[in-house]
Amino acid sequence: MTRRRTIVTAAILAGALGLTACGTNREEEPAAGGAAAGACDTGKGTLIIGMVAPLSGSLSALGLGMRNSAQLAVDQANEACSVPGYKLAFQPEDDQATPQVAGQAATKLSSDPQVVGVVGTLNSSTSQTVQPILNGRDIVQISPANTGPALTLGEAAATAPVRPFDSYFRVATTDLVQGPFAADYLVTTAGKKSIAVIDDGKTYGAGLAEQFATRATALGAQVVAREKVGEKDTDFSGVITAIRALNPDAVYYGGEYPVAGPLSAQLAAAGLAIPLMGGDGIVDAQFVALGGRVGDLATNIGAPAESLPSAKKFIDDYAAAGYTEPYSAYGAFTYDSTNVIIGALTTALADGDYTEEKRADIVKAVQETDIEGAGGSISFDEFGDTTNKVLTVYTVEGDSFAPIEGSTGAFEG
Amino acid sequence: MLPTLLSQIVNGLVLGSLIGLIALGYTMVYGIIQLINFAHGEIFMIGAYGGLAMFTYLLPTFVQQQWYLALPLLLLAGAGVSVGVALIMERFAYRPLRNAPRLAPLITALGVSVALQEGVRVFYPGATAALPFPKVFVQGTWAIPVPGGTVPLRWTGLLIIVVSLVLAFALNSFVNNSRMGRAMRATSQDRDVARLMGIDPDRVIVLTFVLGATLAGVAGILYGADLGFINIDIGFQNGIFAFTAAVLGGIGSIKGAVAGGLSIGLIKALGGQYLPGGTAYDYVWIFVVLIAVLVFRPQGFFGETERVRA
Amino acid sequence: MTTTLEKAPAPTPEPRGRLAPVAPYASALQIAGGALTLIGALLPWATFVLNEGPYPEKATLEFFTAPLAVTGFRLHLVLFGIAAIVLSLVTVPARGRMLQGLGWGVVAVTLANTLYLVAEGGGLGTITAADGAVAFGPIVALVGGALIVLGGSARRREDKPVWAWRSNRYVEWAILLVTYVLLLLLVAAVLTSGGQGTAANVYSGAVFLSFLGAVGGLLAALQASGLLTWIAAVSERHRLFSVVVLLFVALALPLTQAGTEYWMTVAANIGVYAATAIGLNIVVGLAGLLDLGYVAFLGIGAFVAANLSGAAAAQFDIEVPFPLVMVISAVVAGTFGAVVGSPTLRVRGDYLAIVTLAFGEIFVRSSQNNIGGFTGGSNAIPGIPPVSAFGNDFNDELIIGSVELPRGALYYVLIVLIVAAVMLVFGNLKNSRLGRAWIAIREDEDAARAMGIRTGPVKILAFMIGATIAGFAGAFFAHKTGTVSYESFKFLESVTLLAAVILGGMGTIPGAVLGASILFVLPEKLREFADYRLLLFGIALILIMRFRPQGLVPDSHRRAELAPDSGVPPTPGTAAKAAAS
Repeated sequence: MTRRRTIVTAAILAGALGLTACGTNREEEPAAGGAAAGACDTGKGTLIIGMVAPLSGSLSALGLGMRNSAQLAVDQANEACSVPGYKLAFQPEDDQATPQVAGQAATKLSSDPQVVGVVGTLNSSTSQTVQPILNGRDIVQISPANTGPALTLGEAAATAPVRPFDSYFRVATTDLVQGPFAADYLVTTAGKKSIAVIDDGKTYGAGLAEQFATRATALGAQVVAREKVGEKDTDFSGVITAIRALNPDAVYYGGEYPVAGPLSAQLAAAGLAIPLMGGDGIVDAQFVALGGRVGDLATNIGAPAESLPSAKKFIDDYAAAGYTEPYSAYGAFTYDSTNVIIGALTTALADGDYTEEKRADIVKAVQETDIEGAGGSISFDEFGDTTNKVLTVYTVEGDSFAPIEGSTGAFEG
Repeated sequence: MLPTLLSQIVNGLVLGSLIGLIALGYTMVYGIIQLINFAHGEIFMIGAYGGLAMFTYLLPTFVQQQWYLALPLLLLAGAGVSVGVALIMERFAYRPLRNAPRLAPLITALGVSVALQEGVRVFYPGATAALPFPKVFVQGTWAIPVPGGTVPLRWTGLLIIVVSLVLAFALNSFVNNSRMGRAMRATSQDRDVARLMGIDPDRVIVLTFVLGATLAGVAGILYGADLGFINIDIGFQNGIFAFTAAVLGGIGSIKGAVAGGLSIGLIKALGGQYLPGGTAYDYVWIFVVLIAVLVFRPQGFFGETERVRA
Repeated sequence: MTTTLEKAPAPTPEPRGRLAPVAPYASALQIAGGALTLIGALLPWATFVLNEGPYPEKATLEFFTAPLAVTGFRLHLVLFGIAAIVLSLVTVPARGRMLQGLGWGVVAVTLANTLYLVAEGGGLGTITAADGAVAFGPIVALVGGALIVLGGSARRREDKPVWAWRSNRYVEWAILLVTYVLLLLLVAAVLTSGGQGTAANVYSGAVFLSFLGAVGGLLAALQASGLLTWIAAVSERHRLFSVVVLLFVALALPLTQAGTEYWMTVAANIGVYAATAIGLNIVVGLAGLLDLGYVAFLGIGAFVAANLSGAAAAQFDIEVPFPLVMVISAVVAGTFGAVVGSPTLRVRGDYLAIVTLAFGEIFVRSSQNNIGGFTGGSNAIPGIPPVSAFGNDFNDELIIGSVELPRGALYYVLIVLIVAAVMLVFGNLKNSRLGRAWIAIREDEDAARAMGIRTGPVKILAFMIGATIAGFAGAFFAHKTGTVSYESFKFLESVTLLAAVILGGMGTIPGAVLGASILFVLPEKLREFADYRLLLFGIALILIMRFRPQGLVPDSHRRAELAPDSGVPPTPGTAAKAAAS
């Protein structure tokens, strides 16, 4: 019986192998340094750009989009010979969205002398363990997604900011910027005075909602309800019924589009024909596919994408590269973060070959970055936060978000 | 406030009847082979994805556009995929462990649950994120007028309540009146004696899984149609709720599963509205109830007196 | 209960069934297999240089330029091939079994490399013939391995030999010492085989798997020869000596080539989970109470430690010394353990499992909602300072004399000591009156009660002690990781811990440690499979339950209970005596 099963298994395996046929994927002229290196001189070896992001589990949609976007940037740099003499390799590490695994991944990267920079993480809680490890080795870290203010401004972010780690940067704006900007628009411009605030209990959403609520109250609006939904919830009728009784004229949601879209649809189904507003986490075509309605609002970082040719180029290149996963919410910023590291690497290596000592120069070069990325212009302030505090309000028109004319502006606090 | 209270009750009934539909699968399998089929929630999830796959890849456009054509086909597809997966699961994961110690099948069920969820995530295109589910029923809301306002009830919600009750009733009469149903009840009471009476326990067990999976598949489609989207996590959480419902109602009892499901729905809706902590803690109340029931009344509402469970 | 009966070999087993006709040719088959393995190892393995860079050990037409300069997996194959030929010519006891082990080793090594080559090379053309180049190494070696296995199975006539050789204590000590040092080197070699899987080192997964296959084949052959059983018996005889030496050997890992910051961090994480898994093993393995929310106790311990660490986000603005923190964490977690365990008074079996799952979910929900301000909610509690002693932070590197220890080595030493202490507790408990009571409850609760065991308090004690151990580990976890977030304590982590216990073997001391090590080392080494990690994990759970529910290291106590002809659990000494007589 066991034997028969073995034979059957072997036959299935053999069949599966046979399906792949007797082919190879041999490329015509395998370059010495590898496939993507093309005709570049890569004689000085390989340098690694790392990533720490959730590649498995429930957040993997975002993490895999980050992985592909960074891979795209690295591939393009290799094709363009951006770093003379070196081949760039990209090394994504799975953090499973848990801090201790992220710490382990960061240790793995930091103990490799060839690692020149790390992109990530997705979650602020994982960044908290990654920061000190990378900082201990002077490895630059750029997060496309962390929004927790404490990461760059210290525990007393709002009152007495102190930069905790010199090697940490981010191209995402903090909740301190985006939340109040949204409140300004919703309360002052749109004239909503009675607002229900909901969040998903995660760092990004809860922080954003908190900052929004504070500012909205200060502007004279009333936050009539402060509710939470679970990150795995799908049926929000309980929350909606609770706020329905309070007659809000708008809902602000701190979180991402997989919840925001259905939430918007279920609001309408419960007879609440009021707009839902969110942060950059809901600006995605899927928001509408999942139930977002015409008239829903969102803030997004930077000026509208149409005014940025770089954004369109990223989107086209990503599509052309043929990845199976979409680039997701943080794709453009991940692409930019990777390019910032590559740019800084080029600068730092202008006057000599790479050694571990060069890592400090890379950090310095990142600090002085000033480029135009897919998500807008990128440069960093003294805390490592992006200086690009320009935000735009978007609204759903048809089946996607469109910028509202004249809403682009910088938030000055 | 009356409209709020009634709205929450309506919410509870919609969620509850869906949970009850899933709970029937738990309760039947547990009744027959005393296995907490932890993966049953994932069968529900897979049914929803099966229906979505059918809609996306197989149906011609004119069928997609007519809900009365699409819905029956989707229900068939959902139930079919669920049944198929459940049969494979029963045959290759559970049957070899039929006589193993009690913990072994439970741990296997955990493994099946993780594997199914991850299998869908890895192999279904786009399943890493939430996917929109087609609108295969009348959209819109029935605003029921009550003193002080209105109570909204989605037409899809109404569909869930009606279909669940009809299916539960049909199942109940099948189990109580049909020949196969008698065989099921006999097997659940004593498998060995049932075998001596000429009943093939393997057939009965397979039938149990088929019935449970059918209901779960139907529930998956209804769930997607009601909420307009699905993701791979819907199985785990609703599965736990459904198990709680099955226990609450008295495991092995069909009436109990439905009653338990409705209770769970109401606890979540009303607990989130009126208990401290608000909606952030509504799931906690379900688990508190689960613990309380298991500790103080493990036979549930309709269960027989406690069996020896070792 | 979760043990399958190990069949005792029949006195004179004839080659069974289908293999009977092959039996006369067993030697010939094996010699042919060994020769084919040798030839396969020396043939080219790939028809072209892979796009990702050359495959390790070249595996191209190297034979004609440097026929004897084989390294890596090809060297393993050459050695295995020679060993197979020698074994089939020389008469040693149980050589059939040994050859089987070697054969499976050859198959494993070959398969690991072949599959990688086929996958990376884009088809079977990589290992057959394409573009005018031929590379039949993999196929020839695979056939060789299969022939060795076949010959070994056909020949299988003898029992596993029992070595009864004894010597004076000092000789045996020396032998044990050498064995353990070899073990240390082997572990270090496995950990570092293939190097760190980095973007610049794309084949590390293949090298690692291949190495693992070779080690597996070697161990199987040694096990078949009876050597390992003998060493186990010797170490049983000098139990105290073995324990002490093993502890020192474990502490010496930072001095081997695995002594890098990275492996120290991985090892420390493994240690946390190993200690926690041992605690879980008390609940599940000894007392037979399935706990699906166990990781919550690790979380409680970690959150308690975080709040007492002086971190900025902590609820209390005090910094308690680390040893005291560990005690407090353990006590708090133990108290919760008693609470969670109290339903055991009324609930049994899988219902109890669901109750513990519910407690676990309540913990996750509550900590996500920052209950009482103790958990930081979604912001977690960051910035927990590292443990420091004598003015030295534990995550700095340490230089003692001329020896430079990598960063994290101190944490490693600390966790090894913690795990050792936990193992000691477990070992003593298991053989105590309480431990026997747990085992009795596991086997039959009603019978245990009838024998006068007060099952209620005994079961709650199991939960309490298990939770205490987890809380203890949690305090370490908080300081080592530096951030405590509810995300680390979700349901899947409980399942992972449970899987570690089951994989290793329920109720055994080394089992939980081995299981935790495997579950954490494999994802580190095989990052190609990151996307499939959880899928494979789920499938593995199913397969273990189906084919080896007793785990990798079955509990000797259970084995004894189920042994066919012994009423008394034989101590290794008596077993050896029986064999000698």
